[in-house]
Amino acid sequence: MAVSTLASFEYLEQLSGTTFQKLYRQPSTALAIFRRMLPHLGRASFAKKSNATGSLVPGLLLTLRRQRDEALSLLSRLYIVHITARTRDDPQVVSLTKGFRSSLQLALTGGGNHQSFGVPSSDSATADVDLHYLDEYARAQWEGILHYVVSSVGEGMHQASQGPTSAVKQLLKAGSLVTSGAHSGITQAGFSFLLQEVNAQVWTLLLLWIKNAEQMEMDSVDVLSFLFMLGSLELGRAYSTTTLSESQRQMLKYLVDFGLVYIPRSTPNQFFPTRLSTTLTSDATALRSVAAGFDAVNTSATGTKGFIIIETNYRLYAYTTSPLQIAVLALFTKLTTRYPNMVAGRITRESIYRAISHGITSDQVISYLSTHAHPQLLKSSAAHGGGPVLPPTVVDQIRLWQIENERMKATSGFLFKEFESQKEYDACVKYADAIGVLVWKSDPKRMFFVSRVEQLRDYLKSRKTK
Amino acid sequence: MPVKRKASSMYHLDVRGGAKVGRDSAASTPGPATPRSIGSSDEYSDAEPSEEEAENIQKNINNFSVESYKAKKTNAVVGRDSASHHFGKNDFSYLSLKPDHDNRPLWIDPHKGRIILESFSPLATHAQDFLTTIAEPLSRPIFLHEYALTPHSLYAAVSVGLDPKDIINVLDRLSKIPVPQNIRDFITSCTHSYGKVKLVLKDTKHYVESSDPEMLQRLLKDEVIGPLRVQGTEDITSTSAPKMAGLVIPGTKNFAGVQQATDQRGSNKPKDGEPVQQEDIAATLNEDDDDDDDADAVHQFEIGDTAVEVVQKRCLELGLPVLEEYDFRNDSHNANLDIDLKPAAQIRHYQEKSLSKMFGNGRAKSGIIVLPCGAGKTLVGITAACTVKKGVIILCTSSMSVIQWRQEFLKWSNINPSDIAIFTSDNKDKFARNTGIIVTSYSMVAQRGKRSYDSQKMMDFIQSREWGLMILDEVHVVPANMFRKVTSTIKTHSKLGLTATLLREDDKISDLNFLIGPKLYEANWMELAEQGHIARVQCAEVWCPMTTEFYSEYLRQSSKKKQLIWTMNPRKFQACQFLIDYHEKRGDKIIVFADNIYALKAYATKLNKAFIYGDTGNAERMRILENFQHNDKINTLFLSKIGDTSLDLPEATCLIQISSHYGSRRQEAQRLGRILRAKRRNDEGFNAFFYSLVSKDTQEMYFSSKRQAFLVDQGYAFKVITHLQGIEELPGLAFSTPSERRELLQNVLIANDADIDADDRGDDMFHMMDGKSKAKAKKKVVARRMAGALSELAGGQDMAYVEQNKIKNKELKRKKGPSSSFFKKMSREQEKRKKALDEE
Amino acid sequence: MPRAIRGVLVECDPSIKSIIVKIDSEDHAFIVEDLDNQTLVIKENMLAILKMRLDEALKETQQPPSDSGSE
Repeated sequence: MAVSTLASFEYLEQLSGTTFQKLYRQPSTALAIFRRMLPHLGRASFAKKSNATGSLVPGLLLTLRRQRDEALSLLSRLYIVHITARTRDDPQVVSLTKGFRSSLQLALTGGGNHQSFGVPSSDSATADVDLHYLDEYARAQWEGILHYVVSSVGEGMHQASQGPTSAVKQLLKAGSLVTSGAHSGITQAGFSFLLQEVNAQVWTLLLLWIKNAEQMEMDSVDVLSFLFMLGSLELGRAYSTTTLSESQRQMLKYLVDFGLVYIPRSTPNQFFPTRLSTTLTSDATALRSVAAGFDAVNTSATGTKGFIIIETNYRLYAYTTSPLQIAVLALFTKLTTRYPNMVAGRITRESIYRAISHGITSDQVISYLSTHAHPQLLKSSAAHGGGPVLPPTVVDQIRLWQIENERMKATSGFLFKEFESQKEYDACVKYADAIGVLVWKSDPKRMFFVSRVEQLRDYLKSRKTK
Repeated sequence: MPVKRKASSMYHLDVRGGAKVGRDSAASTPGPATPRSIGSSDEYSDAEPSEEEAENIQKNINNFSVESYKAKKTNAVVGRDSASHHFGKNDFSYLSLKPDHDNRPLWIDPHKGRIILESFSPLATHAQDFLTTIAEPLSRPIFLHEYALTPHSLYAAVSVGLDPKDIINVLDRLSKIPVPQNIRDFITSCTHSYGKVKLVLKDTKHYVESSDPEMLQRLLKDEVIGPLRVQGTEDITSTSAPKMAGLVIPGTKNFAGVQQATDQRGSNKPKDGEPVQQEDIAATLNEDDDDDDDADAVHQFEIGDTAVEVVQKRCLELGLPVLEEYDFRNDSHNANLDIDLKPAAQIRHYQEKSLSKMFGNGRAKSGIIVLPCGAGKTLVGITAACTVKKGVIILCTSSMSVIQWRQEFLKWSNINPSDIAIFTSDNKDKFARNTGIIVTSYSMVAQRGKRSYDSQKMMDFIQSREWGLMILDEVHVVPANMFRKVTSTIKTHSKLGLTATLLREDDKISDLNFLIGPKLYEANWMELAEQGHIARVQCAEVWCPMTTEFYSEYLRQSSKKKQLIWTMNPRKFQACQFLIDYHEKRGDKIIVFADNIYALKAYATKLNKAFIYGDTGNAERMRILENFQHNDKINTLFLSKIGDTSLDLPEATCLIQISSHYGSRRQEAQRLGRILRAKRRNDEGFNAFFYSLVSKDTQEMYFSSKRQAFLVDQGYAFKVITHLQGIEELPGLAFSTPSERRELLQNVLIANDADIDADDRGDDMFHMMDGKSKAKAKKKVVARRMAGALSELAGGQDMAYVEQNKIKNKELKRKKGPSSSFFKKMSREQEKRKKALDEE
Repeated sequence: MPRAIRGVLVECDPSIKSIIVKIDSEDHAFIVEDLDNQTLVIKENMLAILKMRLDEALKETQQPPSDSGSE
């Protein structure tokens, strides 16, 4: 979950102070950010307290102090706190910003009429949608997207019927998670995306969408507050679409595509948030318990349950029935046989080359294998005093295959040679180096290679005329 | 000819279809793939049998492949989803899992008859025992093992007494999915034909025996076999089947208390459908002797001595390979040999297990036992001899191992030294009394052309006798036609083949199944290593970059020269030097293997180490080995191919391989075997080392990974080392200047072809047997002189190491260490025996 | 006035360089300037072809297409 925190907050940190002021007008946003920031707030205050009592060992204190400072700086960048400069007379004062404080108060006490926690649909004809249905729906939509990312390559995409909508496909291409054209298929970014937790994946995709939305000139504050609102909604409850703003309603279409929201055909004025959206702003522990609720459905997509056994003879056995997981494995494994609850294959030089040609790195493959390592592998590693989980020879070999693939480095540019004098050569090399275009040089040969030539040519001309 | 059965279902059951049908359909029947690649052939590839019977054998094998039992659902639409296309025809997700599949350790692939085993299952140990009996182990690393059901493996299972019903039942109990119907069919029909007919030698009379009287009737009606029945005897006689009861294999735990005779197992036979229990499987596995009365009766008819081979051939053509058994306990015709294991000799559990397969029903079955080098194959052979207690003939691959075998017999058994004789080119003694043991080599027996008077007399003696047991050592290295010669000229009741690996790149292994018998047992290397029976080994592949000059030359040269160039790569030389230095300092004893004689000499001479190859005389060999074993100044020994097998050097703890035979997986396994018996293997934290040095970006890389395939599947992991830390700092590092490297390259380039070609023929014994290689050896001498002359032209200083040739070996000579005490003893005994014979 | 030649600078290990030199030796279609053991300049339009030829040449040193045991 740390990943998603980073992804979403990295984006937030770029926003301006005024945007934050607007954002914090919505109590739901203030609450969501407060919830997400709680660990940092806690750290800040804890460190402060312990600092006061002075009961901690100095080393630990230093660490804590650094953590506190980092936490404080993050909070201030998010305009949650205001920090005064330390002066001789006044000690440093940390206080919640005004907007944030009042909204948070509203959120916590439930006062006001801001509708920022959504308006439950008052429609009497509420569609009969149960939690199981919503989970299934969310899973199918999300897996459809992941599946597209994994196997947008070649034969994998036969069944277009199950794939995501073209808008989502466009988005994935815009975000460089997949590429089309001659080298179509998953990209390195796409593989990194796959390796994330669901929540982080959702945020990645949402942020991509927000970036795109900015081009469509949608109000980013509107969009963001809507997302934070979604995170505070109740699973299984129908909400009204009528109270939403224009851009929020527009956004709803995409959220349906992503599987974050379900709109029954019979009651188009209602929407149901799915687990994917109600957990958007939950903190780590909440997410974990949610994941448990999502159980098998979700683990098949990105679950943390280990299911892969890799042997010293490069054979790979994966205890899975999920077509998605199999498709991920197929990116870097030569699969051979499939049993009802297990697939067998092996990692070969060719299979790794194929992965590398899509930009997937050996380290990503290794990290995928180790995060999904079967409990037996972990057990065996623990039995050997916490040795490596994956067979070291296989890990080495996968890395070597990548290195082998990168044995030649090619740089386009110009070779300069036949200098009239050492002086001329020295000056030119020096100049090329200074402007940062020098790639290679040989003093004895009086030759050098540059990546760009224009400035150097001018320089040479200017020397000539001198 | 069997009546062609009507296909009773939609499965393709037409497998055995009789000789003619078989021939016609052979083309359309998918046979086991025989991957061949140039350069991977064995040294005996010229020994093609090309006899009609070989064809028939192949035909019969081809007929029995799992693939001919196409599963019904091959292209079933059932359960295909978006992931199915990754697997083609091998998506078996439509199979239904048993509800308690978590507690069962196996999956079965319905197309190929592959079985995957979860080795971490509580049932794994029993499942492993079972699977090694019925299937061919393919890979046995840490977690998941793979096996394949093959006609041969099922043949072996039947021959050790398993019933098709038992096989299917146990398989079903262990499997997560119900055993697919076509696999059931495959098992039933393979076992249906295998092992149903036995050939038994009783009181010197040969009987064709079967538990199925109809089978015998069929044979009697056969146009070839029918007339061979000994006239005037009853058509078919019936007796009760033999039992293991009463037979105890010496050295086993039972032996001490001379067992409580009666077999109490079998009473707790598991019922179908009951949950799996370990005891059930164990019980089933141990039920070698069925307690079902019907199956117990055996029926037989007698055939003449001369008819044996004809019947064997004919039965094979009929798809009913004959199983040979020896009822040695009831053989009153041949004298008993006074031999027993010494009380101190305790055999290990896997040795016991392998022997129990051989003597499962109280008779001796012919077959092959596969144990890694160093796991005590010899003791298995000796124990078998002590069980049979009749005349024994042992065939080895070299005169050196002949001597070692006899030595081992004296060490482990109480045999009277005068009862065990040696037949080699140097020794042609018979045993003193009316029965005994003769240890000899394949080449002595299979020798073509005229023999010396002594040798002919000895052969006559061997051929005139009836032997109880023939032990065939290292069966995988001997050409099939040599076996044929050996087994046809010597009359023996039972045959035991021993080997470390049944791998042959030329696919001749299948012949052994019929010439000796089925594989009775194959040990798991990793398991033995874990239990400390063989040494743990750290394997590494060291990548040696080629220097620019060598590599440019490599790219230019013919393939023959290419090999020499990658072997002589100065970086490889340096790596070798560095590793020797490192391991000598650690106190290791090191063997360096080089197939290529030119490289062997060049390396050894430059590094001032001793070396042995085919042309090294016996006395010199013994002197060098003696020093390697006992002299703490001599810690490194260079060996050519002759060191691949049969040299027993338990002192060695580190192997370095600098040149090898293409992609031979067998050679790799054999070489690794040289350190598996390391004396120090049970020292705390002891590891032996196996380095394979390969020149980067050459074909050697390709061969190297091919070579490792077998060991990797046994669970060995080869670590790739791309840089040896500290190699640049090694004092006196060879070829460290460009000019030295250029010199080396010059030498390699002018080396005469014949010199390079000196890929040692391996064992001298084989190499002596045909005139061709002798001629070649002669040519080699000439060639060497030529090379010398050329080197003078190129500048004498470049050939420094040619002049120094053999310096280390000579040094050892000068020291004149005591010649092997064991050899001294040998000759003393020889004297004694001669005297004894003279006195008679 | 020095000369400036357009091309692609290839930096690689000595073996790769040897193979490139070998490939070039057939019709001299690739190399513009052989700089040292690990560096050379080749014609810009020939890079793709060279990479292909290089892969071909390296193939023979590659691991066999999985034929251990069960394939």
